[in-house]
Amino acid sequence: MSRPIPITLLLLAVALLAAATAPAAEAPTRDQYVERLEAVCKPDALATQRVMKGARADIRAEKLDVAAKKFAKATAIFGSTVKQISPAPRPTADRARLGKWFVYLKRQQSYLAQITAQLRQDHAIKAQRLTARFIHNGNLANNVVLAFGFDWCSFKFSRYG
Amino acid sequence: MRLLAVSILLVSLGSGLAAGERSRKGDLIVSLDGAISPLALPRDRAAPIAVHLRGGLQRVGGELLPRVTRVELGLPAQGVLSTKGLPTCSQRLLRDAKPGEALAVCRTALIGRGRLEAQIRIPRQEPFTISARLLAFNGRAGKRRAAILHAYAPQPPTVVVLPFYVSRQPGRFGISLTANLPRALGPWPRFADFELTLTRRYLFQGERRSYLSASCPIPERNTAGFFSLAKMTLTLANGRGISTGIARSCRAR
Repeated sequence: MSRPIPITLLLLAVALLAAATAPAAEAPTRDQYVERLEAVCKPDALATQRVMKGARADIRAEKLDVAAKKFAKATAIFGSTVKQISPAPRPTADRARLGKWFVYLKRQQSYLAQITAQLRQDHAIKAQRLTARFIHNGNLANNVVLAFGFDWCSFKFSRYG
Repeated sequence: MRLLAVSILLVSLGSGLAAGERSRKGDLIVSLDGAISPLALPRDRAAPIAVHLRGGLQRVGGELLPRVTRVELGLPAQGVLSTKGLPTCSQRLLRDAKPGEALAVCRTALIGRGRLEAQIRIPRQEPFTISARLLAFNGRAGKRRAAILHAYAPQPPTVVVLPFYVSRQPGRFGISLTANLPRALGPWPRFADFELTLTRRYLFQGERRSYLSASCPIPERNTAGFFSLAKMTLTLANGRGISTGIARSCRAR
């Protein structure tokens, strides 16, 4: 005669099963995901445009300390955006692709922080090299999520001063 | 400071979408790639340059492309587009002219070359693609300065003459080349890919001039700088628009 399963074990199994199936049930469609992220990205992209205004002219005029402050603000905004959109449930079929996108976004954030640091230290050439990587990485990020048709969540160089 | 001075060339691509930056809206993907040459430019004065642009429109699933009613190419405001002393060519002279004939009458006004691929849809026939050779001439459309585009496809034999109005506007892309594509153009507005190089150097009153010029206005201690090179905006028959822009670098010499 078999022994009855303890109730706690049964509850644990049910909880685990629920946890495993919950993300699949909650997974949004691609359109829903895009809509959710764009709502976060739009105000942040506009704020980036505002804080970066004139940054290129500042660098041209060798006001690197002024440009550094603008880049620092942009870095903070970018970090906040990534932090907000990272936990959003992702469409099941797009998880791998979005995982790759977030790797690029983290890299973008890192480049922005490094550019800021180099500008603060008055290292114009190093900042210049990092800017080239930042632009290239941004384009790569866009290519990964081209199918999503992001607007505000996509990288646009024109938003950076 | 001057960043850009240009002349245009459109060159056709093979099948498929052009490389470069892409953006998607609905089931449409627009792409744009480009470069300036030479890459190394003076920091403090504009020097002659050529601008190469390559772009395209693709529909996910490969369905027939929508009709484009307006094409706008934006180039950096810091650039110089000069037509002073450059001969002009009349649209009238280009109509029904093959490329050789067009060059015979308007070579002095030539500002660019290229190629174009367009999808053609004729009732009761399967859509097909044609390749056209492009020539760009300095000209006027009405009283406005324009780059007159001459497209010739040998098969089926077709000639299209289209003015791109040249204007100055506020904003990052201060030089604008805009063409309206009327229904009278027939099936041509379903364009797929283009490649264009704008460049022309000429002499005026003993002075060397260039249709397009630019500088690379970066600080002494920098060796390179980045700028928004071009933006392409397409307006579709349903009123919607799709655009993409590209950023490139220049080096100081």
